[in-house]
Amino acid sequence: MVVDTMINIIHIVVPILIVVASFYAIYLKDLIAAAIAVSAMSLLLSLEFYILQAPDVAIAEAGIGACLTTAILIISIRATNREEEV
Amino acid sequence: MSGMSRIVKTITNVAFPFVMIYGLYVIAHGHLTPGGGFQGGAVVASGLAMILVAYGSIWVVGKVKEKHLSVLESLGAIGFISLAFFGILLVYLYSSFEGTFFSNFLIGQDTIPIFNEIGKGLANINTAGIIPLMNFAVGLKVIAGLFVIVLVMAYSTRIKEGK
Amino acid sequence: MSGRNFAAIIFFAIVAVFLVFSALMMHPFGEFDEEHYPEMDQYIIDNTQNETGADNGVTGVVFDYRGFDTLGEATVLFTAVAGVIILFRRLKK
Repeated sequence: MVVDTMINIIHIVVPILIVVASFYAIYLKDLIAAAIAVSAMSLLLSLEFYILQAPDVAIAEAGIGACLTTAILIISIRATNREEEV
Repeated sequence: MSGMSRIVKTITNVAFPFVMIYGLYVIAHGHLTPGGGFQGGAVVASGLAMILVAYGSIWVVGKVKEKHLSVLESLGAIGFISLAFFGILLVYLYSSFEGTFFSNFLIGQDTIPIFNEIGKGLANINTAGIIPLMNFAVGLKVIAGLFVIVLVMAYSTRIKEGK
Repeated sequence: MSGRNFAAIIFFAIVAVFLVFSALMMHPFGEFDEEHYPEMDQYIIDNTQNETGADNGVTGVVFDYRGFDTLGEATVLFTAVAGVIILFRRLKK
């Protein structure tokens, strides 16, 4: 019973955190901070996939979304400007 | 001076073997536990990207050339597609065998005693026919492909990091 | 308000209406639904472990029943690697 309540709470909290991280990824003007926000969103998304009982997708999302995409974004930012141009 | 500080390099040296072992475990047990070639390859490529970030792209390019990684990637693709074509080829070897493209020709036969058992709920690693071999091929392809993308991007933009 | 912003708002409203209605029409989470129930799913659940021999049903589907999908995925990865190497070839000394 306690475990079911915990899982229900996690099912509500994790999507809210995903939306908050996505909002910060758009809102922040420092592009490295925005890339870290995208990484946090991917990590929370992999947690959401795991608690929805899809561990295959969770492993792929944690490997590609949270690590390799962040590395590629930060390499691209290093080669260009750090601040976003309006 | 390429690479990051000594703290980052030490932590990378500690964490790197665990990441590699977990990724290779996911590839090798792809037909038993969650995961497979693509997921395990992504995990291994993440560990290699960690090495790349900690030690710098110039040090990594001194160890491994991206030409060799391209050869590995093509080798994985050739292994995958030749395993698929063996399904057609074995029609002519065994006359009673119904083979198609991507048919699982290793399962349920006694001629080649490798990966030929049917394991339902047994967690026996000697099962599933060509699926473990395809996992290895796809895993090799994904490791080499994802790592060569990050490596080429990091090494090509290294000119600005010296300024 | 320029015409471009107006068109963007109209498009956003249409997409939002579609998303809300499709969210309202989803069947309840985790419950068995008799109407939206393809026979292919039950066949795969019943026979994957016996026919492919793999314990993990997802891998059995991805590498055996749907091998062409994995072949296309491998082709996409190969194309991505070739594109990145061609694109960054000029910058190297």
